[in-house]
Amino acid sequence: MATPAIASDALTKSYGTRTVVDDFTFRVNPGEVYALVGPNGAGKTTVIRLVAGLAFPTSGEVRILGEDPQQTPSVRRELGAVVEAPAAFYPYLTGRANLRLHADLAGGVERGRIDEVLRLMELHDAADRKVGVYSLGMRQRLGVAAAILTRPKVLILDEPASGMDPLSLHLVHSVLRKSAEEGTAVLLSTHHLDEVVAYCTRVAILEEGVLIDEVNLFDRRERFRMRVTDLSCGVRALEAQPELVTHATIRGTELVFIPRTHEDLGSVSGVLAAAGVGVLEMNRDVFDLRAYYRERVSAERARRTGVAPATNDSGYGGAA
Amino acid sequence: MISTLLRMEFAKIWRLTSVRFGLALLLVFPLLWAYAPGIFEVYGFFLVSGFQVPALSLLSSMQFLLPLLVAISAAELLGTEISNGTLPTILLRPVTRPNWLAAKLIVIAIYPFVMLLVFLLASLAAGIPFGFGGFFGGTGLGEAGLLGQGMLTPGAALGEVVRGYLLAALALVPIGMLALLFTVVFMNAAGGALATLASLIFMQLLVVFPAIEPFLLTTQLNAYAAPGSEVAWVVALIALYGALFAALAVVLFERKDF
Repeated sequence: MATPAIASDALTKSYGTRTVVDDFTFRVNPGEVYALVGPNGAGKTTVIRLVAGLAFPTSGEVRILGEDPQQTPSVRRELGAVVEAPAAFYPYLTGRANLRLHADLAGGVERGRIDEVLRLMELHDAADRKVGVYSLGMRQRLGVAAAILTRPKVLILDEPASGMDPLSLHLVHSVLRKSAEEGTAVLLSTHHLDEVVAYCTRVAILEEGVLIDEVNLFDRRERFRMRVTDLSCGVRALEAQPELVTHATIRGTELVFIPRTHEDLGSVSGVLAAAGVGVLEMNRDVFDLRAYYRERVSAERARRTGVAPATNDSGYGGAA
Repeated sequence: MISTLLRMEFAKIWRLTSVRFGLALLLVFPLLWAYAPGIFEVYGFFLVSGFQVPALSLLSSMQFLLPLLVAISAAELLGTEISNGTLPTILLRPVTRPNWLAAKLIVIAIYPFVMLLVFLLASLAAGIPFGFGGFFGGTGLGEAGLLGQGMLTPGAALGEVVRGYLLAALALVPIGMLALLFTVVFMNAAGGALATLASLIFMQLLVVFPAIEPFLLTTQLNAYAAPGSEVAWVVALIALYGALFAALAVVLFERKDF
């Protein structure tokens, strides 16, 4: 099995008696986008800083490309990161000079790369202005430019789109998506659930430093739901066809399944018809991460405090 | 890598407000002494040579002003990185923490020499009206003080002044290191500078313990007047203080969470 780009095992961080990250284990593989979501104070930033090697775990370990970033600083050549919101730069230097400084510290980048990332982040017109006069959104975009400057294999970003207008937000997310498509492993913390659901591979929901759920959004995006005449019989029929369907289950009054390919959808209807199950309606299963997140966090708080959540209207019933 | 870091740090320290303010102050300060109307009433002597102005400048600033300027600049050099948020950003690059802090320590160790070079040149410039020929008396930085031991040639006078300024600059180095150490501890410039000043004031009070007085850091601030036979000892003690504070800063910095 290939080495994960980021591997965290039983990661725990405590300050005195207060544990801010508790026994957090996760993996991010090359080409994956892994998002940390959770309420303010859930421990997302601490996880980011632990993984980036800026903070020391109380127990557990972190590996970047198989190496401990504290013991092997050279592995940071393969790491790009934004850990401050807004991204921090020397205000008396221009955007270009700040990037040149980052390039020098990283051991250099190829000729033209600085201009390339400035253009990519739509900052080429402001490149020779001092960062001190940049807007919040421009600094954030410069942060992403610095992070991708060395074509890293691992990107770690804490709230990369914080304070951005919708166009900049779209730009940043499209750059991250493209980086992942080129094989970069991306770990980010965010509150922008709608953007995350469009391209993240997996989402970890944190609450009070504890991982309460990890949702595979790749599977979620490929799900379909059907109203059928016989749910139990339909599930049995699909489960007997692993070459067509990777997953089939009952959710409420519907049958939910994941086809191996979209071309298999017609065959799925055929399998059900052969089993005597009538298909009344079939739709792509649109996953509402916002509602799911709200429900899972509320349920976790209720479990911890013993007070029942006020409402539970997401329809997910606590099942991932 | 270390050369890149040093280049960065030299550029940064020059941009610090405290450094620019301090150097501007040191350019003006000697004029006050060179032309102070009440100098005879207060100190009982007249300036007879331009070589005495550097001594007056140093004697009047070594106990408080110069340590203050060094402490604030050293604390600000790290403190601005913390307040700007650039510290974690730089540490994400393949730079080891000891290397990064070492670059700052080297720049802070060099800064007092630059500062006192400016101070010396400004003092000599302020002394131009008094002339730089041979004179009867002392520079104030030699073993015989301002009274001297007879005729002093220009070369000998300049030698005394340069020696005194070099020793004074050296004595300020551990104060910069101490300020950096406290900034690492408190993680802000104000805390670092204030803790350094508080420590120096506390040490000055410890003169009531005569047995430890020769070993105090604050005692070494008078290194510029050390007799030739004691220079090696004084330099060794200053180096020990500097190395101790620098090593502690590196050790603490290595284990800090950012």
